[in-house]
Amino acid sequence: MSENVSLDPLTARIREALSLALQVPLDVVAEDLAFGDLPQWDSMGHMEVMMRLEEFFGVEINADTIAALTSLSAIRQYLENNHLGATS
Amino acid sequence: MNSIAFQFAPAVMIPAHLIGEVQSKLAYVDERIACAQISPAGEQITLELKHAVSDAEKSQIEEKVQRVVVSMAQGAIRPKVQVLEDYLDRPTPFTADPMPELLRRGEISQEAPGIYALGPLLSRLIDWFESRFLDLAGSFAAQPYRFPTLIPARYLERVGYFRAFPHSLSFATHLPADLDQIDAFAEKAACDEHGNLNVPLQRFAPIQTLLSPAVCYHLYFTLADQTLPPQGVTATAVGNCFRYESLNLQSLERLWNFTMREVIFVGAKEFVLENRERARQRMQGIFEEMGFVYRVESATDPFFIGEFRKQAAFQSAFQLKYEIRARLPFKESTLAVGSYNYHQDFFGRHLNIRLPDGSPAHTGCVAFGLERMAFAFLAQFGFDPSHWPSSMQETFR
Repeated sequence: MSENVSLDPLTARIREALSLALQVPLDVVAEDLAFGDLPQWDSMGHMEVMMRLEEFFGVEINADTIAALTSLSAIRQYLENNHLGATS
Repeated sequence: MNSIAFQFAPAVMIPAHLIGEVQSKLAYVDERIACAQISPAGEQITLELKHAVSDAEKSQIEEKVQRVVVSMAQGAIRPKVQVLEDYLDRPTPFTADPMPELLRRGEISQEAPGIYALGPLLSRLIDWFESRFLDLAGSFAAQPYRFPTLIPARYLERVGYFRAFPHSLSFATHLPADLDQIDAFAEKAACDEHGNLNVPLQRFAPIQTLLSPAVCYHLYFTLADQTLPPQGVTATAVGNCFRYESLNLQSLERLWNFTMREVIFVGAKEFVLENRERARQRMQGIFEEMGFVYRVESATDPFFIGEFRKQAAFQSAFQLKYEIRARLPFKESTLAVGSYNYHQDFFGRHLNIRLPDGSPAHTGCVAFGLERMAFAFLAQFGFDPSHWPSSMQETFR
């Protein structure tokens, strides 16, 4: 993803959370990134993502969110639907 | 010095769904523990030690127990339990523990904890189940494979096994190619009263191999760095598996050395998931014909404490594992005798097994523990073949 593309604040924050969780540079976190696209986003990486989302946005980690939040776009949709985007 | 048993409260409350898992891990905490129990409400832990210890040693043991508890129970994620089949209310003609009768008949001979020699009845029962599982494999045109009992350490390292299941590993080694050392061993090697060989570990060659913990791993390694044919791979194999379970080793329910029959699917996601489901439905028919008393429900693997919370939550959320849990009437509990597993593309990515389009292959397997199958059957049907399913009576008359 090109850094000169301006992103809305929520997407930028999600990218930051994913970058930290997966320990990859920010520019690797494309807007269409999904579970399995990067070697780092495997089962263990996914649980790191979940914990970062909990920390950043107050997402509750449960079986449903673990199974559903498997892409940046799904995370964004979930946060919007649950009015969690403004947290932190 | 203090008494042998002592109790204390866990550092964090242990939720009901984790009591069994945490308790089974306490068997690995310290060699001085003879028995570890968690109360049904999860608010008290009782340790029974093999011998009396000082207060300082007791504190040390308690601190290790608390590490396990905190690691597994703090922030634990409630599993999503899904029951696919439930036939636990079928009647059983037998309600006693089969172990005393197996011993009396000389059908089992314990060589060491978790290691048993089996007699003719159990062997024939296992053969009978094997023929059903081979029928299942045949219905998928699964290709037969034979895999070694040993597995290279570097294989298990490559798929993260050391991190996930360090507690259950069994290592294999040999004497180094050194005539003096071999001569010295031949002259002096002996076992003490506990069965321990009196040879220091440094006299053995570096460990490069382990006793294999699973059958399907061998297939995945034979497919590493390859592109699969368009139809995928369906295979079947039976093999000796080894999972050390410390104090949990008991009767034929938990063996260190057991035999597993697997039907293995490698290919596209839909191929693996559809075949796993077909296998479950076909086994449902076989179990129904037998009148077997069981339930199929979602489950997680016994990951070690560091990995448990995350790995188990992930496995549960994605419903990757279902266990066939047979009823044991004599103790009103169930025993996992088989499982239907899906690994997503974990092995495909780690071992570079590719689909024709270049993407990582998905894998899954259906696995049956043969000794457990036979044990659960005897626990439900007893030793009198006239009470056995009609489909078995001719074979065992």
